[in-house]
Amino acid sequence: MMAAIGKKIPHDSALGHVTGEALYIDDIPFGKNELVVDFVGSPCAHGKIKSIDFEKAKQIEGIVGIYTHQDIPGHNLFGPIIVDEYFLAEELCEYLGQPIVIIAAKNWKAVKQAKQLVNIQIEAYEPVFSIEQACKKNQYLGETRQIKRGNVQNAFKKSECVLEDTFYSNGQDHFYLESQAAIAYPGETNELTIISSTQNPTETQQVVAELLDIGQHEVVSICKRMGGAFGGKETQAAIPAMMAALAAYHTKCPARVVYTKDDDMKITGKRHPYQTHYKAAFTREGQITGLRVDFYSNGGAFADLSTAIMERSMLHAENAYYIPHIEINGTVCKTNFPPNTAFRGFGGPQSMAVIENIIEEISIYLKKDAYDIRTLNCYGVKKNNVTPYGQIVKNTILPEIFEELSQTADYKQRYAAVKHFNQQKSTKLKGIAMTPIKFGISFTTKFLNQGNALVNIYKDGTVQVSTGGTEMGQGLNTKIRQIVADEFGIDHNHVKLMPTSTEKNNNTSPTAASAGTDLNGLAAMDACQKIRAGLIGLASRHFASVNEGLAPAPECIRLEGGYVFDERLPHKKLKFSELIMAAYQERISLGARGFYTTPGVDFNRETGKGNPFFYYTTGCCVAEVLIERLTGNLTIERIDLLMDIGESINPGIDRGQIEGGLIQGIGWLTNEELRYQDNGALLSYSPTTYKIPNIQDLPKIFHVNTIKNPHHTINVRRSKAVGEPPFMLSLSVWAAVKNALSYVADNQIPKLRIPATSEEILRRITQYTSKAQTDLESAESEISLLSSLTNTEKTRVLPV
Amino acid sequence: MRDYILLYINGKRYQVSGEQIFQPFSDFLRHEQGLTGTKVVCAEGDCGACTALLGTVKNHELIYEIFNTCIYYVYQLDCQHVVTIEGLKANGHLHAVQQSMIDHFSSQCGYCTPGFVVAAAGMFEKKNVLSEQDVRYGLTGNLCRCTGYQPIIQAVLAVAPDTVPSIAECFPSSAMLQDFEQHTTDSIAAHYEETITGKSVIKKFFNPATLQEILDCKKQYPAAAFVAGGTDISVQMNKGKVHPDTIISLSNLPNLDFIKRQEEYVRIGPKVCWAELEHFCKNTFPEWHKTLTVFGSPQIRNVGTIAGNIANASPVGDSLPFLFVMNAEVELSSVHGKRWVDINDFYHGYKNTEMTKEELITEIRLAPLNAVQKMKLYKVSKRKDLDIAIFTAGILLEEMDGVIQNIRIAYGGVGPVVLRLLETEAFLKKKQFCLETFREAGKLARGEITPISDVRASAEYRLQLSENILLQFYYDVCEEQPC
Repeated sequence: MMAAIGKKIPHDSALGHVTGEALYIDDIPFGKNELVVDFVGSPCAHGKIKSIDFEKAKQIEGIVGIYTHQDIPGHNLFGPIIVDEYFLAEELCEYLGQPIVIIAAKNWKAVKQAKQLVNIQIEAYEPVFSIEQACKKNQYLGETRQIKRGNVQNAFKKSECVLEDTFYSNGQDHFYLESQAAIAYPGETNELTIISSTQNPTETQQVVAELLDIGQHEVVSICKRMGGAFGGKETQAAIPAMMAALAAYHTKCPARVVYTKDDDMKITGKRHPYQTHYKAAFTREGQITGLRVDFYSNGGAFADLSTAIMERSMLHAENAYYIPHIEINGTVCKTNFPPNTAFRGFGGPQSMAVIENIIEEISIYLKKDAYDIRTLNCYGVKKNNVTPYGQIVKNTILPEIFEELSQTADYKQRYAAVKHFNQQKSTKLKGIAMTPIKFGISFTTKFLNQGNALVNIYKDGTVQVSTGGTEMGQGLNTKIRQIVADEFGIDHNHVKLMPTSTEKNNNTSPTAASAGTDLNGLAAMDACQKIRAGLIGLASRHFASVNEGLAPAPECIRLEGGYVFDERLPHKKLKFSELIMAAYQERISLGARGFYTTPGVDFNRETGKGNPFFYYTTGCCVAEVLIERLTGNLTIERIDLLMDIGESINPGIDRGQIEGGLIQGIGWLTNEELRYQDNGALLSYSPTTYKIPNIQDLPKIFHVNTIKNPHHTINVRRSKAVGEPPFMLSLSVWAAVKNALSYVADNQIPKLRIPATSEEILRRITQYTSKAQTDLESAESEISLLSSLTNTEKTRVLPV
Repeated sequence: MRDYILLYINGKRYQVSGEQIFQPFSDFLRHEQGLTGTKVVCAEGDCGACTALLGTVKNHELIYEIFNTCIYYVYQLDCQHVVTIEGLKANGHLHAVQQSMIDHFSSQCGYCTPGFVVAAAGMFEKKNVLSEQDVRYGLTGNLCRCTGYQPIIQAVLAVAPDTVPSIAECFPSSAMLQDFEQHTTDSIAAHYEETITGKSVIKKFFNPATLQEILDCKKQYPAAAFVAGGTDISVQMNKGKVHPDTIISLSNLPNLDFIKRQEEYVRIGPKVCWAELEHFCKNTFPEWHKTLTVFGSPQIRNVGTIAGNIANASPVGDSLPFLFVMNAEVELSSVHGKRWVDINDFYHGYKNTEMTKEELITEIRLAPLNAVQKMKLYKVSKRKDLDIAIFTAGILLEEMDGVIQNIRIAYGGVGPVVLRLLETEAFLKKKQFCLETFREAGKLARGEITPISDVRASAEYRLQLSENILLQFYYDVCEEQPC
């Protein structure tokens, strides 16, 4: 039997997935007396609660309890970084749908009726929705932060070319298929078990304990799997879990919360919309000499993870490019939307979009191929390899990736072909672009870079592994299974990953930042090595032979193919299960806890300097698009992608992360549009109106490859994190649209926001091709309110 | 007369009555039967996670098609056999699609997976050798957020056709067929009493077996909702937007699912579903066929009917611009008799039609295109597939010697109902067929409509499309026959 690592071993839940036997929260059969729980939220985006009347609702048959913040025995205020969010609104309501009243009932029918009868009177205040409005009112979450190097003002003064504008990107709903859900099971005295669809069981445990004013040791928080998460269940699983816990606490019955998709989309936070002012200085050759970016994110009503997300934006403002003089400012605005939160890329996509937009604009301005601008500015290997925050970009092979992909994707020829195509008379338009990513791996908050694991071997030689990592589909469990199998040289089928539980693993970090396998895999490996030490000692004594003159030699013991042997006596083998039984009888420990901390990561927020990342995951992607000039309809003709993900632990799983991440990114950049009523109510709150990519949206030609990187020698089995990075390779599609527009924009630089919907594309084509110049005031915003849709933007001319 | 719904699930017989028939089938599966392999995400037929196979009797055979169980109520399922994800793993053996999906990493979080498995298995009921295009087309109604779809396509393409058992092999039909044939001519009447916020409501359900019975029933309960495929009303019910007390199902009504060419007409029965029309149109109305391929999803097309689309009166009903420019006629029947109405006169305002509360659509007829007519249909939506239109258009041209003899233009999504652009049509008549003519017509068309901004698009976008689509039409006609 060969090693498991590096092999395409199926997802550990695949059998359950394809048969429908895999259980998600709402598939768990109802327990005796189990209640269903729902909530009534704020009827307006901003206001003061005048009165709450649920007397009539209480009369509905089947209603067991109705609760407000007054029924909370412990804390009502929480927050992962800044403690500013109320679980149940007390006086002030700060977003539409913010939970105020919790209803527990015997069935959903009763809940539905009762919800209609809860009467909440609110004195409405003026809401703030956009970054622009928030800035006017000085409403921020946390402080503005800065990272800088050199003298950017000087660079602007000296530069031959300067380009300046504002860039807008809208938000994105996670659209995980399993909506937020939790079940709370009350135990004896204060005990409570909570099963939740969460990326962060420890946080769930903590908030529930604080809510109920009990010790964290009274709460067991469990997550078997999630039906998708993408960051949306890193902090936001807390509210439904608390709802279930509060109902269970008061009724002493199991209590289940399952959001409908509509409610989930309406009241949970999303990817942050951004508005970014940028000013770039560059030479006639296209070398960027200075860059200033002022990021403003729309944080929603509460801080959630917004400040950390902004930090990652700032740490990716230069993406893969060396920029000598740079100033990056980041501000989070407080608005009256649900608190925006983590989403694959964690602020990276929004900031990389800005720099890639700048590169496209430089190329249009200089009438050069954007590819040449990119390779000219790309981080070097021996020089030009220090980031604005002082970390050295090492052991990466970005220039090679550019070179190899441009060859295999036939970039130069296709660039010429696109140019030729657009010169023909046609109702169609083409565009092409190649964009890179350099994504830093590690939590930028140092203390989160730790993991622990528990490994137990049973007497038949089978193994259970528990880590703090949660399975949301990304294949973490499968990879850890392979790592552990190889540590003991056994079949991966003899290793099972157990549901994530705070009872087995304490004080765990959320499964996020793409670091799930890095942290938990290495912690599991550490546990395995502790057990191995005992096993190897035993085996060395077992195989030592006086007759053959062999002294016990632990260094000669091999665990391979389900057997243990001394390499000096390879024919004398013991089954792994026999070794385990012997170890048990010898009273050798067959369980261990492992611990891991990422070495060398440290970032000083005050100075904006340090080494926030253990390493970088890199890659490039080429996209070619076809646009219908008269409708703005967009088709992706071809995608070629190349990534350095180190030595893959499971190429099947990793390919899924790459393709899935890329397509999800394309959704953000093209069709996924959050549109709101003027009162802040989300209009696109279900798949009927919120359009994630469909199977028919896949590019006709789709090449995905990885590249060997011999310089990458660190991390678990020399692998690299792969969860988030490919998301940002989708920027090539957006950049290709921008490239296409440059062919109709005459001598102007075409503007394009995110998402580039067919509507946005046609608006731009019309703007640049119609003879009548539109001269209306700019009504651009990072959010889409219905009333703002009819205004057109003033055409801008590049200031030089 | 029966008071229960007779159905089979994975080969097992059920008689369902009372309150239980008034719920989405997915709820019945998950809550009443514990069959939780079928997932519910959107509860509106837009994600496919709840997909199951619907076996319906056609020519003494059970024919299986995929459908969305979340927007199909139990009362629609009389005399049908449903196969769920649990039914595909027969006798403990994985279905070939299941094994292939495991091998190809086709699942990540797994929540959409049962729906994809069932939809893929359903494809093999009709066709053995599938192309990539077939696979994409067949899975258009299923959303996945994790994989990016590629490994799902690869898994289905890798299935060896001879390893896929037909559903009939797994679930022998004869006993079910016999059972159904004995019961399908029964009329059904069922009801239950419900207390909603203190008030008692009697929910009634009728499934008449003859047209006369249905018309009588509708006379007696004029507020009753007719349900055939139910792909719109079920969504409205799930979202709490409508609460019909009385439902009249057309499912057991015979002889209303015909499509035939007779004399100068193509005659279409009201119960003809989109999948059947799509098949029929391939040769007769190729342009219509193109738009039908992006009509909803396979799950929707398998059950949604043409009469439902007409009666639903949506301003963006996908079939309407075509029916408008073709001057289709709709036959309305009631206890008082029958009458024909030109579709162009059918809509009076938003969701307001010529139909009285006692009437039922019993036929749609239209004449095929003649040799001088050229017709183009357009649908612009945010996403090309499985999306409701932002804007739709049908344009029918009669041109001779470079002069426009006659033109009909119908736009959807630009007002409360689908509109004919009579002023623009009048302007175009007798004009030269050239780009400049259509450019001017485009400007005119803008002035003839009053679209609104909504969740799907701005008014401005719709106005621009109204203008541009006439140019697109010009270019498209030229491409076929260089001008």
